[in-house]
Amino acid sequence: MDKIIVQCDPDLEDLIPGYINNRHKDIIVMQECLETGDFAKIRTIGHSMKGSGGGYGFDIITDLGERIENAALASDTDKIVQAVQELESYISRVEVVYS
Amino acid sequence: MTKTKTNGQASRILIVDDDSDVLVLFSKWLKAENFDVVTVESGKDALAQISIARPDLVVTDLIMDEMDGMALLSEIHRQNPLLPVIMLSGQAKIPDAVKATHLGSSAFLTKPVDKKELISQIRKHLHLAGNGKTNKSQPFGEGIIYRSSKMAELIEQGKAVADGDITVFISGETGTGKEILAKAIHDASPRKDQPFIGVNCGAIPEQLLESELFGHEKGAFTGALSQHEGLFKAADGGTLFLDEIGDMPLDLQVKLLRVLQDFQVRPVGSVRSVPINVRIISATHTNLAEAVKEGHFRADLYYRLNVVPLAIPNLAERPEDIELLLEYYLEKFALRKGEPKKAFSPEALDYLIASSWPGNVRQLINVVDLCATLNKTNIIPLSMAQKALGDEESDLRTLKDAKHLFEREYLISVLQLTKGQVANSARIAGRNRTEFYKLLNAHNLDPSDFRDQAGA
Repeated sequence: MDKIIVQCDPDLEDLIPGYINNRHKDIIVMQECLETGDFAKIRTIGHSMKGSGGGYGFDIITDLGERIENAALASDTDKIVQAVQELESYISRVEVVYS
Repeated sequence: MTKTKTNGQASRILIVDDDSDVLVLFSKWLKAENFDVVTVESGKDALAQISIARPDLVVTDLIMDEMDGMALLSEIHRQNPLLPVIMLSGQAKIPDAVKATHLGSSAFLTKPVDKKELISQIRKHLHLAGNGKTNKSQPFGEGIIYRSSKMAELIEQGKAVADGDITVFISGETGTGKEILAKAIHDASPRKDQPFIGVNCGAIPEQLLESELFGHEKGAFTGALSQHEGLFKAADGGTLFLDEIGDMPLDLQVKLLRVLQDFQVRPVGSVRSVPINVRIISATHTNLAEAVKEGHFRADLYYRLNVVPLAIPNLAERPEDIELLLEYYLEKFALRKGEPKKAFSPEALDYLIASSWPGNVRQLINVVDLCATLNKTNIIPLSMAQKALGDEESDLRTLKDAKHLFEREYLISVLQLTKGQVANSARIAGRNRTEFYKLLNAHNLDPSDFRDQAGA
């Protein structure tokens, strides 16, 4: 798979790995929530991703977070699954350049 | 809860968000800008931290479990009406922004927040709150506390003239902060790393002023045991602030005029002039134009000094600044003493805002210090404010004298109330009996006199 190059603030170099790791955790939690139908929790996670992604330099995470939040609000499982898959693909391909 | 202090002077920012990714990100951004940062994950923890960490500004998320940002904002302003709060929201909903504004939010930002926007808003609202302590490049007039448009205009004028050598003339009544403005101009000028020397022309005896300003040679006059370089020379490269210039004797005005024309000083008793490179800022509380008309001040010197006139408004002309100033100096007092910050009761605040303040900001500082020193509880009542301001206005005593007088009257009141019972009096005053007796001795008060009164 092609890498996705993202430029981030060098001052955030020590925070970025933790931030990406937290998204891996979010994916696991959201997949569990999909099984139990806990849309409220998914919505909260999407809301948080929307609020933080852009600040770290990941505008895509903000966009995906918004999609997840809206889909959870509508209890739309298909859209949530699709957005979570896109998130999973994104964070596995993203390569951060600090400049 | 994470707390990091980067240095003693930094403004402290409390960040409230239930998302730890946001907390670490903002914390990183703000620490890099030399702010002290305290982070908490809930509104409840935020309220607990406000009384402990005493932040200068709060940044809070809107949507949080239990207590949301609006409820937190209301509670913060119920306790600290002047504490700036910046609200963050994941959605730019106009009704939320309107509600936050009505509740007194300083700004409403949408997530994801832009770093520059966040820092700019924090700086702006710290400054408006009179608390711009954190600045790598210091803003103009950092110590000048205001929110009024009159002061904002003055500060803009000061800022505009700072970057140059133009001669500035500051007018304003006593206690308005003429020297603070002069220093702000100096600090914002290219001369900021050179000396700022202030001299009160009215406070130095006439016969000494010339040698103080221009220096003297050894043996120039009786008592001139050694050579003295003078304040012009001491300020070389920097700024000389001539306060109360209107009090300068006429014969010295001629000599000052010559210095301003030639930029050379000749010390008393010397035959040689010394070149100097000094920016002059002068100030007066009197009407110098009137003094010129009456022949007390030289017109040519007046015009040379009055190149850029800056007029500082009286405190009574900017009542919207009074509450801000009271808060600021209560905070300073608390920090200085390491005590919890006290507050004026709403009635005391109304009274102080409506007062005439003939001694301006200096008088306000004295009143705050007096009230904060003498009040035993955290809320300063109207009676204390009236007493403090009444004493101040009657004859503008020194703080020490005013404290002494107030203490004596307080002791008398307590002794009258308890009919001379020392144990009860000491309890009311919050002192033990030994300390209370010492106070009575210091004021030459005898409890038995009050018992006699009761029996009479």
